[in-house]
Amino acid sequence: MKAVLPTSSSAPSMEPLPQLTRRGFLQSGGALVVSFAMHPLSAQAATATPSTAQSMPAASWIELRDDGKIIVRTGRTEIGTGMSGFYPQIVAEELCVRPDVISLIMGDTDRTPDGGYSAGFLSGADNLRKVSAYTYQALLGLASEKLLIPVEQLTVNDGIVIGNGRQVSYADLVRNQRLDLTVPVSGKFARVDPKSWNGIDGLDGLTVLGNPPTRPVNKFKVVGTSNPMPGIPDKVTGRTQWTCDVILPNMLHARMIRPTALGSTLITAGTLDKAIYPNVQVVVKKNLVAVVAPTEWEAVSASLVVAASTKWTEWAGLPTSAKLSETLRNYKWEKPSEAKGDLEQTTSALNAATKKVSATYEQPFVKHAPIGAFVAVADVRDDGTVTVWSHSANLQGLRAQIANTLSTPVEKVVVRWLDHAGQFGRTTFGGDGAEGDAAILSQILRRPIRVQWTLQDDFAWSASSPGWIEDIACSLDANNHITALKSSFYSPQSNDARIVGAVLAGMPNLRSKPDYWIATEWPYDRIPHRHEEVFGMPNLGSDSPNGVGMRGLIMRTPGQRQQNFALESLLNEAAVEAGMDPIAFRLAHTSDQRLIELLHATATKAEWQSRPSPNPSPKADEGEQLHGRGMCLMTRQNSCWVGIAEIVVTPSTGVIQVTKFTIGADPGKIINPRQLERCMLSGVVMGISEALKEEVTFDTGKITSTFWSSYKILTMAEMPEIRVVQISRDDKGYGGGSEAANAICPAAIAAAFHDATGIHARRIPLTPSYVVQQLRPKAVL
Amino acid sequence: MADQLILNVNGQDHKILAAPETPLLYVLRNELHCTGPRYGCGVAQCGACAILVDGAEVRSCITPASSATGKKIITIEGLPVLWTSNHAEVDSNALHPVQQAWIDEQVPQCGYCQSGMMITAVELLANNPAPSLAQIKDAYTNKPPSPHLCRCGTYAAIIRAVQLASKTISAIPRTGGSTSS
Repeated sequence: MKAVLPTSSSAPSMEPLPQLTRRGFLQSGGALVVSFAMHPLSAQAATATPSTAQSMPAASWIELRDDGKIIVRTGRTEIGTGMSGFYPQIVAEELCVRPDVISLIMGDTDRTPDGGYSAGFLSGADNLRKVSAYTYQALLGLASEKLLIPVEQLTVNDGIVIGNGRQVSYADLVRNQRLDLTVPVSGKFARVDPKSWNGIDGLDGLTVLGNPPTRPVNKFKVVGTSNPMPGIPDKVTGRTQWTCDVILPNMLHARMIRPTALGSTLITAGTLDKAIYPNVQVVVKKNLVAVVAPTEWEAVSASLVVAASTKWTEWAGLPTSAKLSETLRNYKWEKPSEAKGDLEQTTSALNAATKKVSATYEQPFVKHAPIGAFVAVADVRDDGTVTVWSHSANLQGLRAQIANTLSTPVEKVVVRWLDHAGQFGRTTFGGDGAEGDAAILSQILRRPIRVQWTLQDDFAWSASSPGWIEDIACSLDANNHITALKSSFYSPQSNDARIVGAVLAGMPNLRSKPDYWIATEWPYDRIPHRHEEVFGMPNLGSDSPNGVGMRGLIMRTPGQRQQNFALESLLNEAAVEAGMDPIAFRLAHTSDQRLIELLHATATKAEWQSRPSPNPSPKADEGEQLHGRGMCLMTRQNSCWVGIAEIVVTPSTGVIQVTKFTIGADPGKIINPRQLERCMLSGVVMGISEALKEEVTFDTGKITSTFWSSYKILTMAEMPEIRVVQISRDDKGYGGGSEAANAICPAAIAAAFHDATGIHARRIPLTPSYVVQQLRPKAVL
Repeated sequence: MADQLILNVNGQDHKILAAPETPLLYVLRNELHCTGPRYGCGVAQCGACAILVDGAEVRSCITPASSATGKKIITIEGLPVLWTSNHAEVDSNALHPVQQAWIDEQVPQCGYCQSGMMITAVELLANNPAPSLAQIKDAYTNKPPSPHLCRCGTYAAIIRAVQLASKTISAIPRTGGSTSS
């Protein structure tokens, strides 16, 4: 998940550049193929072992062909944010070609070289930028040989190398040849590893080494333009093949029969009347129960019959969602998973202050909640080879998990990627989809199996982003400047990527450590003392007889989404205490010039009027409605974010309508302004949804919010007017540009609620019932 | 038991064998390989499976196949023909204006819900070629059986695309006689 930033200057490396190897001449065709070697650059020449001219390495990074087409491969996948457009832009920029000559292959473990997190766009982009830069240098060398002109006198335009009035195209340079370029990399492939934090190592994939000369950012022609997302026309016309569309010969459709409670074990599996369901089979492995049938509707109908007659043990090991905060409060937390800052100085500054602001903030469990329930197809063959079709966001991680669960060498497992519903981090560590169920059933039945989870399966049995509480306090001096800030964050773990089917079937699985991490990136350098600590605990119900429990996993802007809500909410409360405008209060506590510029630009766009909260005249008209505004900021992965919310509260119903939201982002060099705008607009929708609506409910045994009518998300009519501010910079590299937009909404909306009502809301979501309860006059003691 | 059903999908009759209560979604996807409509929730709460039956949006996940015999079923695969057959002067390879607007406005992110979103747009614009912003929001939110949900949050792009398609449709006069544009 860590950001790897490209160098903004193009200082060339002193290391030698990789050299091309010519593997003989071909009668027809021809290509330059760029693959990798897992050792330092200086040794790369020794690795150029000859092979037959026709056998292309399956997992090369770039293939430049003699018809002018370029194939680019990355282990990352499109997760809906436009990366499938950004990667070709980055390659096109370095190679001096048009992005439309590039075809991109994503994700497939047998056809891409590097693995890695799909959400880790920055590291993926850095890899491809360097690979392209190495390739560009190699092509210049070839052209220099061919044209007899020194490299320094050559320029390239649209794939044509030009010098001294002569020219040659890339296609001509590779014609009738097979040329290999080997670039140096480090890293390892994903493997199950009990020693690692989440039970799986190598999820970062490979990193390209060296520092080849790259094009200066201020000379970019392709990066910075609004290249369209390549897959959209196929999605709009019905030509895309989605994961749910995979049909194999001899394939069976499966539906899972899950236990009645998260911790139940099987007593007896239900049966079917063979006269009515002659083609349907019930499959049982420990607590994993499934129905398989040649047609999907037979599987659906039979699963209802089998579920009704399957007997499970009772289990009631959850505290209920109503008692979640109390449970977290009463848990015997031991030492923090991570701590930062000087505890002694921070505590003494807090104790010395005359003015202090402290609060506890909280949020229940929330769901990734993809619009399509998860689906997968697996084919485990008699020779031990396995192919899985998946929409995971970490295919190499999933491959390692599947191999581990099936006790198969990882080399025998191929995972192919196809599109499916957005999942917002749920499969960043590999699993947590239907792939495990499909692979286990296929290993038992030796036939291709398609598993489609139902909506209820998905809501009740997938991992969630866990609920949390945070205690946070700061002290103010006589000038209303914060002197110290201390925070303690408490949450169940967010790194349990075990395959749920494998847990139920009692098969090998990951083992994770119940630790949490400090996710805040600190924007307030003018606060002299701070101390942050975070505590993790095992999943609720982790000691259940079947071992599943309320599995916790990361979700979009993980950890920082939660911790920044608490930090920014406290800053908003401190600004109230100081009697200051919340933006002016922020400006007094940071010297980050990018953040300061973005704060001013976003405030201008929002037509922000400087004043302290609460709103002195919240009733804009004669009615009962109360108007308020609030703000929030965040720095993340070399990017700055600002959100400004305007809301209307209807006290009698408790309904909050966000009427306008202004979002500002400075992600360094903007790769694609239009795709960034899409991500900002849509991220605001997701953030408002989390602020106002989203909450997983559970009783003592199971998750009860298993329909869209009980796990509510924002609808179109509830969306506000959204205004967007973008600042692009040539001198700061790339920053994270798609993920964080959701995370700046909740604290801005909570501040707007205070502005409208004078009441600090310290829990999200701000549902109508919570709002009505907050507005009820408190009993005077 | 399986019955023989004749379904008219995207202008063509298809004979299929299916239990009459089988939801149209499974017949369209698995028997006719018409994969535009997708399984989202199975209980008519999200809109990912929406199709047009005689010009009106239905949720194919809860609609028995037998109830659609003798009716005209349209999925996103059939939108270009629906458009060109009613508009003689447009290029016969043209996409439906709603599809073109979805491309021009870069609407889909993951795209899983967008087939259903386009179906709603086609139905809305057939009945009201120049909807107001409030009418667009109303069509996607308040029309039974449920709101059309997008988890990626593409609602702003959908609104822009409906407005763009509205301009295209209003500018080209209708020549055919089908029940929806």
